[in-house]
Amino acid sequence: MTKIVEAVFSLDAVYALTGAVLVVFAVLTIRDREHPRRLATGLFWLLLGAIFLFGSLMPYWVTGLLVLVMVALDGAGRVTRSSKTEDAPQFAANEARRLGDRIFLPVLFIPIATFAAAGVFLMLGRDVGRGALVGLGFGGAAALLAGMRLTGASLHRAMQAGRRINETMGSVNILPQLLASLGVVFTAAGVGQLIASGVVAIVPADNLFLMVLANCFGMALFTIVMGNSFAAFPVIVTGVLVPLILKPMGADPATSAMAAILTLTAGSSGTLMTPMAANFNIVPAALLDLRDQYGVIKFQLPFALTIWSLHVVLMWLLIR
Amino acid sequence: MTLQDWLKLGGIAIVVVGLALRLRTTIVVVAAAFATGLAAGLPLFSGDGRTGLIDMLGKAFADNRLVTLFIITLPAIGLAEKHGLQIRAGEFIRKLRAATAGRLQITYQLFRIVHGVIGIRLNGHPSFVRPLVYPMSIGAAAKQMRAKNPESLPSEVSESIKAAAAAGENYGNFYGQNLSPVQAGVLLVYGTMLGLGVEIRLWDLVIYTTPIVAFSVLIAAVQFLRLDRRIRSRCAKS
Repeated sequence: MTKIVEAVFSLDAVYALTGAVLVVFAVLTIRDREHPRRLATGLFWLLLGAIFLFGSLMPYWVTGLLVLVMVALDGAGRVTRSSKTEDAPQFAANEARRLGDRIFLPVLFIPIATFAAAGVFLMLGRDVGRGALVGLGFGGAAALLAGMRLTGASLHRAMQAGRRINETMGSVNILPQLLASLGVVFTAAGVGQLIASGVVAIVPADNLFLMVLANCFGMALFTIVMGNSFAAFPVIVTGVLVPLILKPMGADPATSAMAAILTLTAGSSGTLMTPMAANFNIVPAALLDLRDQYGVIKFQLPFALTIWSLHVVLMWLLIR
Repeated sequence: MTLQDWLKLGGIAIVVVGLALRLRTTIVVVAAAFATGLAAGLPLFSGDGRTGLIDMLGKAFADNRLVTLFIITLPAIGLAEKHGLQIRAGEFIRKLRAATAGRLQITYQLFRIVHGVIGIRLNGHPSFVRPLVYPMSIGAAAKQMRAKNPESLPSEVSESIKAAAAAGENYGNFYGQNLSPVQAGVLLVYGTMLGLGVEIRLWDLVIYTTPIVAFSVLIAAVQFLRLDRRIRSRCAKS
């Protein structure tokens, strides 16, 4: 019994649900006569759906080849959106009047389910973060059912609405997963050590301020390259912070903790500045239909530079 | 540095040049992975106990499916939007006299920091920003500018509101998540430092991150209130 419950409320179950949604999107695209590239675009989303459904079962090289096919389709400019016209805005206005604030209910299901699942996982002593993801998946499905009941719309209509957003965002949606792969390759090739040793070669070891500066700069730079501060952290700490700053000065546990967490968030400034962190910077721009793909990064740039400088000053003052 | 080291950095060069030329990002990323991977002497497919480039690509892509999970919420959000979600969100905010686009972002950032404290890590762009925060902010801006409806806002205003709403989510998420000792970032720091033989206490990490969280709120508030000022001055002009 517990085995069945665990299988249903697992990440794999949520991946399978998402895969099913993607397959439906693909079929709708292939049947859409007004889509300029219906076969290639349909194939692209079908392959992503297959990876979601079978990614835990297929040999990794098969998934890798499927990814290369998807990238080739996108590279050839074959992944586009439908030219079908949007519903008249008058319809949404009439529906807003008819349904009133009840229209918030289905959408609120998503965060409520996310919190609820996280809470259940917490009580069972499981990984809370995983619980939130499982909740997000089932919340999405619950919101869909609630929305159909409330509006009286068919599943077909709801899927068309979802497909429209998905196609508008386009191939940007796979960038975060693709960049994660690039990060793994960079790590395997030892790119991080190269950056760390490059920083060390430039900076004189006896100047604490310059060392702190190099530590924060290396962290932000490597995060900009990798798009992920979690990948940069072990590299920079192993290459710079611990051997060149903390060990020589014999830092106490509190100072070490302070320097370590500041190093991590110095990396977050890098995340705010880089298109490589596509899930935070590029996907949202597509999701909100920003005209400038880099609009989010441009807005974040002054914030990121200011808070990064504060990291350098704060770390230097507290270590000194 | 050896020649091989320089070749390994070729992947970074491809990314920088490719993005600067605005080539297709997917192609640029894969090209960079191949350039760096082949320079490091990785085989294409696994064998002889070595992991191949294509296997690595497939494994990382499959392991990271969780970042793309939001697709499952798109049918529900798309349906609600077709039936007036964004219109209602805008109307709701127009009733709140104190609401402005900038103040909404500040409130939302604080709300996301609370998520971090509770230990919930999620990317709020699809579940909160697109369906709720963004239309509310547009509604508030329309009120600030006394525009008849959100569609009649000048596009430069709606574009900067989009960027601000996406940024507020990131600010709250990135810095707030370290306020909980069960979050991945704090645990990564803790584990890495212990692995390097540096003694630290888990709670110290949470305590020492609070000044940065406070700064993140202050700096962002300055930015968001300036957005309000820009909206007001735009209004005075027209």
